[in-house]
Amino acid sequence: MTLYQRRRAGNVVALTLSWVATGIGLLILFLVLWTLLRNGLPALGSDLFTKPTPPPGGRGGIGNAIYGSVVMTAVATLVGTPVGVLTGTYLAEFGRGSRIAPVVRFVNDILLSAPSIIIGLFVYELMVVRMGHFSAWAGSVALAIIVVPVVVRTTEDMLMLVPGSLREAAIALGAPQWKVIVSVIYRAALQGMLTGVMLAVARIAGETAPLLFTAFNNQFWSTNMNGPMANLPYVIFQFALSPYADWQVLAWGGAMLITLAILMLNIVARLLTSWSNRTL
Amino acid sequence: MSDFTVTAETPRAPALGRPLVRPREPAAVAQTTPKVVIKDVRFFYKKYEALKGINLALHDKRVTAFIGPSGCGKSTLLRILNRIYELYPGQRATGEVLVDGRNILEPGQDLNLLRAKIGMVFQKPTPFPMSIYDNIAFGIRLYERLSPGELDARVEEALHRAALWDEVKDKLRQSGLSLSGGQQQRLCIARAIAVKPEILLLDEPASALDPISTQRVEELIAELKSDYCIALVTHNMQQAARSSDFTAFMYLGELVEYNETEAIFTHPRERRTEDYITGRFG
Amino acid sequence: MDLALSVTKRSGLNSRQIQDAAFRTATRLFAFGVLILLGGVVVALAAGARPAFEKFGWYFLVSDAWNPVKDNFGALPAIYGTIVTSAIAMLVGIPLAFGIAVFLTELCEPHLRRPIGTLIELLAAIPSIIYGIWGLFVVAPVLQHTVQPALIQILGPLPIIGALFAGPPFGLGMLTAGVILGFMVLPFIASVTRDVFLTVPPMLRESAYGVGATTSEVIRHIVLPYTRVGVIGGIMLGLGRALGETMAVTFVIGNAHRIKASLLAPGTTISATLANEFTEAVSDMYTASLFALGFILFVITFIVLAAAKLMLLRLDQRAAK
Repeated sequence: MTLYQRRRAGNVVALTLSWVATGIGLLILFLVLWTLLRNGLPALGSDLFTKPTPPPGGRGGIGNAIYGSVVMTAVATLVGTPVGVLTGTYLAEFGRGSRIAPVVRFVNDILLSAPSIIIGLFVYELMVVRMGHFSAWAGSVALAIIVVPVVVRTTEDMLMLVPGSLREAAIALGAPQWKVIVSVIYRAALQGMLTGVMLAVARIAGETAPLLFTAFNNQFWSTNMNGPMANLPYVIFQFALSPYADWQVLAWGGAMLITLAILMLNIVARLLTSWSNRTL
Repeated sequence: MSDFTVTAETPRAPALGRPLVRPREPAAVAQTTPKVVIKDVRFFYKKYEALKGINLALHDKRVTAFIGPSGCGKSTLLRILNRIYELYPGQRATGEVLVDGRNILEPGQDLNLLRAKIGMVFQKPTPFPMSIYDNIAFGIRLYERLSPGELDARVEEALHRAALWDEVKDKLRQSGLSLSGGQQQRLCIARAIAVKPEILLLDEPASALDPISTQRVEELIAELKSDYCIALVTHNMQQAARSSDFTAFMYLGELVEYNETEAIFTHPRERRTEDYITGRFG
Repeated sequence: MDLALSVTKRSGLNSRQIQDAAFRTATRLFAFGVLILLGGVVVALAAGARPAFEKFGWYFLVSDAWNPVKDNFGALPAIYGTIVTSAIAMLVGIPLAFGIAVFLTELCEPHLRRPIGTLIELLAAIPSIIYGIWGLFVVAPVLQHTVQPALIQILGPLPIIGALFAGPPFGLGMLTAGVILGFMVLPFIASVTRDVFLTVPPMLRESAYGVGATTSEVIRHIVLPYTRVGVIGGIMLGLGRALGETMAVTFVIGNAHRIKASLLAPGTTISATLANEFTEAVSDMYTASLFALGFILFVITFIVLAAAKLMLLRLDQRAAK
């Protein structure tokens, strides 16, 4: 083979492998979704949402787990978002020239990728041990700690995208800096910041590890935030590993629900971003 | 230090031939008092000296144009007047800027109030992401408590003066971003004059606009002149000649020449001014 | 109206300045909060782990004991499992991620770039527990019945590598866990690598094509050297995630506190141990040992993530020039 032929052959091999790799990636996605749908759809029915988790071998639903997940996700988002937005605001608006800002950014990015089970341990030590029992509050706090770095990152990125001329125009009118940020800058970046919150919600919706020793689990309907509360990931964990067929079906149903919700949030968030980019 | 009141006795250089542009008739500038006196102002980006000792005056109810090639410092000078450079660390100004006799570069100023009294319009239109009405009302609401009726009247008045009212009166609640480029810039002008400033700083207000919008803006400047002290930065010499009473030519951070517009364009005193005006560089 | 007089304020703050100061302080406070959070995590873990470190000392890191009855614990199997599964994950994930990044930047039709890129990012959005149950019910049986017997047959007899693939095909074990982990981190590394590839100035690539280089040569000789630091940073970010993954691993690793040479054998990782045993820990020393495991995991991931971040920062600085 001439040099040229060898080069071409090598190229073909490399590119084919790239195609194959992409194919494998997409195949994984479709396989996972297909498995979820195939095993989860049979569980679909009104019972799934209205009945609580049953004892082994019994019939029921995962209503209490859905409730618990929704409530804890909501509380975590409500707590974590303002913290994240304010920190992101600091990094974008007041951080210029500050020596603390790069450190905060660095630490924030590490927390973003840190193992979520460690967060669970932290909140366990901080809250569960102090309070003497598991609680949905502790679970919400653990999830909030995961929300914060995500929101910090997206807020900072979105605020930095706002053109400096807009800031200057508002300042030139004599507006104090906080008003410039709150009335003008936030408004300009609102869409992006909302997208960031959506992505944070999608992230915590599926988190299991932080809840394992904070909210723990609860077999029954419970609205008591001060005690253990059922949640979808834990129920999936418990039921999927059990030998009971009824429980396994419920686990698949829960898994399907979570995944569909998360994918929906992601897709909507991306659509919002591209839609706003097009109208600009 | 030169005397800043220009009288008929001010010596002029011999005429250099037919001027390239047709200057306006000089207004009766004989005995106007300076509203803003810029004394020995230097400006630094970190260590780099961008403005090297500027001395001149801006007169009330007159338009002073600043011309010069890119990078000569005219925008920088403008931005000193409302201290907007202080948003950025590493930028500082020395010297004095006397507005009505008081130095506004002194520490201890209420910057927000200062900026409310000095309006600024930027090169690129920057409407806020809110309705047209709220864009105008934003500045007013910062410092005044008005009833809804009074606020409506002020908004309408500002839009009238900016020659925008007829075009937007039916869509005041629509976003400011939905307007065309020229309309957005007039919106920004309306926004700036709505708070009743005393000085207007216009930083190349028409350079991003099409010719028709540019003409509208220039007509606006001519009208607004009767109420404000206006500083106009422009890279368009014809615009400076048409619209201003005084012109300052700047080059590489220095004030090369400052005089009545007619004098600058018909018999400039400095070689560099003449070269710039006749198009030999810039 | 005397503008200057009304503007000069020598003393006292007005309400606007107070509001500004309050807002600025609030944002700074929360920013500090992030730092305090990190500090708090370290302190909490260390405090919880102290009894175990006091009792076992450095020996904890190399002991393979795990005896709840006698309160004797060692971290070695967990650490070993964490490292091995992550290594397998990298071996599986990096080539695939790389191929996808090449595909998205060089081979893919422009119209399809966005949709396919989004699909890959959706892969990253799938929660860890879903990968776990999918791994348990779908991938493990496949591995158990087809891939692993094949590996045992083909590679088993070989002298040294054979030991890695010895033993009955359980289906659940280090190999399966590594593979699932690899699938999990692959979309993440692919996204970062693709973003990093896109920072190459088009002119650089075009001039390489212009002298007749093939696509793979452009990648090898132009794109990769230029983005080397960023690619490594992205890989290390993926590694950091793999090290800390819990649910994907817990389902398929078999949960055995043992170190075996064979990759097909069950084992455990730090996070899997925590997930499985924390709520069952009966004695204080048990709990403390688990905290100690958590502390070790935190240290390992912190080092990896910090190194990754520093590398990516260097790439940003270079791109900014």
